[in-house]
Amino acid sequence: MRSLLFIALIGCQSGFGEVDLPESPPDQLSDLDLISVDAEGQLVLNDRVSPYYLNTPLFSDYAFKQRHIYVPNGKRAVPDPRWTYDFPAGSAILKTFLVAPDLREPDVDQRRVETRVLVRRDSDWVAWPYIWDEDGQDASYAPSGDTIPMSVIDRDGSERPFTYLVPQKNQCQECHEIEDLSTGEKGIVPIGPTMRNLDGLHDGTDQLEHLVSQGLFEPPTPDRPTPAIHWSATRDTDWTTVDDDTLDRVARDYLDVNCAHCHNERAVNGKTSQLFLSWDNDDRFRLGVCKKPGSAAKGTGGRTWDIMPGAPDESIMYYRMETDDIGSMMPDIGRSLVHNEGLALIGEWIRRMDDAPCEGSD
Amino acid sequence: MRHIAPLLLSLAACSNPTFSENRCADIESTSCVEVDPADTTQDLLDIVNSVESGATVILGAGTFSMENQVTFRGADNIALIGQGMDATNLDFGAMEVQANGVDAIGDDFLIQDLTITDAPKDGLRVEDSEGVTIRRVRATWTNENDPTNGGYGLYPVRVSKVLIEDSEAFNASDAGIYVGQCIDAVVRRNTAKKNVAGLEIENTQYADVYENIVQDNTGGLVVFDLPGNPVIGRDVKIHNNTITDNNRANFAPGGTVAQIPAGTGTFALASRRVEITGNTYANNNTGDVALLSGLVIDGNPEKWAIPNADLIGDTAGLMLDEGDGVTMNFRTSEVYIHGNTHSGSGKKPDNSDMNAREIGFLLAVAYSGQDVDNVLYDSIGESSFDAEDASLNSNDHHICVNSDVGSFSSMDLENLAARPVPLAKYMYRPDAPFAPFDCDSFTEGPLVMPTFLDE
Repeated sequence: MRSLLFIALIGCQSGFGEVDLPESPPDQLSDLDLISVDAEGQLVLNDRVSPYYLNTPLFSDYAFKQRHIYVPNGKRAVPDPRWTYDFPAGSAILKTFLVAPDLREPDVDQRRVETRVLVRRDSDWVAWPYIWDEDGQDASYAPSGDTIPMSVIDRDGSERPFTYLVPQKNQCQECHEIEDLSTGEKGIVPIGPTMRNLDGLHDGTDQLEHLVSQGLFEPPTPDRPTPAIHWSATRDTDWTTVDDDTLDRVARDYLDVNCAHCHNERAVNGKTSQLFLSWDNDDRFRLGVCKKPGSAAKGTGGRTWDIMPGAPDESIMYYRMETDDIGSMMPDIGRSLVHNEGLALIGEWIRRMDDAPCEGSD
Repeated sequence: MRHIAPLLLSLAACSNPTFSENRCADIESTSCVEVDPADTTQDLLDIVNSVESGATVILGAGTFSMENQVTFRGADNIALIGQGMDATNLDFGAMEVQANGVDAIGDDFLIQDLTITDAPKDGLRVEDSEGVTIRRVRATWTNENDPTNGGYGLYPVRVSKVLIEDSEAFNASDAGIYVGQCIDAVVRRNTAKKNVAGLEIENTQYADVYENIVQDNTGGLVVFDLPGNPVIGRDVKIHNNTITDNNRANFAPGGTVAQIPAGTGTFALASRRVEITGNTYANNNTGDVALLSGLVIDGNPEKWAIPNADLIGDTAGLMLDEGDGVTMNFRTSEVYIHGNTHSGSGKKPDNSDMNAREIGFLLAVAYSGQDVDNVLYDSIGESSFDAEDASLNSNDHHICVNSDVGSFSSMDLENLAARPVPLAKYMYRPDAPFAPFDCDSFTEGPLVMPTFLDE
């Protein structure tokens, strides 16, 4: 039992489905009154809580994720053409991570490991990590996170042991913190729920329309951006058979979701590295083409350029994805295993690049 | 501090050997908590992840065996204080997840009196903050010459007003002390040994670097800009340091630092307004001081182009190259070298890898048994060069080398790289004074040094 350091201020229900989220994290996740678990182990949702799905999800050591949004009654999240929805004060976003021992039968023996909670307060977001109890009935507030030895049998049947990281509270900011470029103020933001990454059919329903009809979202903006690719439907593609434009689009969506939360011009590490992997960055140099890293240290794997066009095996970006060396991997946090499917995609994308080869000392 | 449960508070008594040097009782802080190494590291991380602005965390004497990094975010004016570099050890050697040792973002962050051991990535990384003090902190790795060691020992990056003093860095596979993209830095009385690069000042504006001991690294104390970075370095004063015996074989696993020849004392690369004075240079086998164009590490000027709108800090009056809406900072200019001592260096340039460390190899060939001159200038970008006649050498970049350096060479490095015969035709090795490099001041006046310590 971990030390209970925090005084729980339990939100009281002020109406059906309406929850006043507390200023401080309660000891138990269920005390947020947003999600709970019934006797059969199934999640039970508050009426104002909706599940949502991302077209391209972040890879997290083959964990499965259940995502939920809560928006207070009478309020709606407002879309932004570039960034995530602007959620009204009192909203919350929950992401629950589940692992299965054998990815060939992913529905068998799934268990919940952690739930990461983002709470929208009046002027900022706060991030609270919860770790699920052994019996899977509730999760406890865990500001220090955890490191958990695990093993998974992948879809090829290989046993892959790894250490699963439940990020400590302050590690949330490593991915979720950006700077407001006009004010210089830093703050926590959500990453996933952008218009383009929500826009599509999920469970046969147009997700954005569904969230509008639920009363959670404002309608999409007229300049609705091209939706991100549905990764689960495309991940097993033989990328060598795909046309250049499609390959580029899928690869850029993959990099956007898996890298650009840090590697963008508003994030701490993006600013330090000047490597921008957002889907809409059209500066080839700052996309990594013939760019030398500033301070990658051993993360270069002895290679010179972030991307050497045509040559994944000479590209630091590819090395950072193919290695599981602690101290060299990317993303910086939240990955211990190699994402084979993503690696194949980015490898083919670099192989097909027709930019001029990098010149200079090597 | 309301969030900390009483059971975690060790009530300090003067007789308690665990808190013999620093105690909450002696510290003015809105909240202070002491952590005993006998507590679990989970307890320590619970506290670290619960502190609010103004808090002090005091670590007792002993070793904390960490399973995750010590992360500070979202709070300012945080202090992390141990009982001394030889007493309190944050040991990350058993960590199974990828992380730094101590990783902090927060204004007015203070870290003091402790050691950080075997971090998988950087020992201490402080980023994007203002007013950071690193005092008596040692970052070290257990194994010498190990390319799997973490990259940087003490690494403030994009910090303004940073003080690093009386600290130590050993065995980093990149740089022991790395001041990156900072504005206003004071780096003094530190020791950097057995790293690939001892002490680096990168893309930094207004740095006062003095009384450091930089020994037994591959390269000693170096100043440079990297291409494409919006913080254009300027006003770096390197004085009264000891930069000796930096002859360790390069063990970097890659990166630009892998190009540093063993035996390098100091280089200034893509740098401007740099003063090097009062230092002791000795027994650096490749050479003591080299002034190099950034084009040596990346020959494409376009890579050095920074959109003018992105530039950070004051670039007025600097000798920079202009393009269409961009500024380029590959040129090294406005360097003044005087009043140092030189002895026993340049006797065996690193010729171990003619590709990875081409300059070492070139110097070995060019000097072929003679001592390499104490100060070298690559003359890249100069409008004229001649091996014999002083009047046929330009000093467009205003490089000032005092007679007291003893020996100086300006080299036509671009042509020398093709290894023509005779090499001497591409080396200008004047007797003192080294006209036209015998100037003794900066065009735009003395360097501007940080004043935040006086405020």
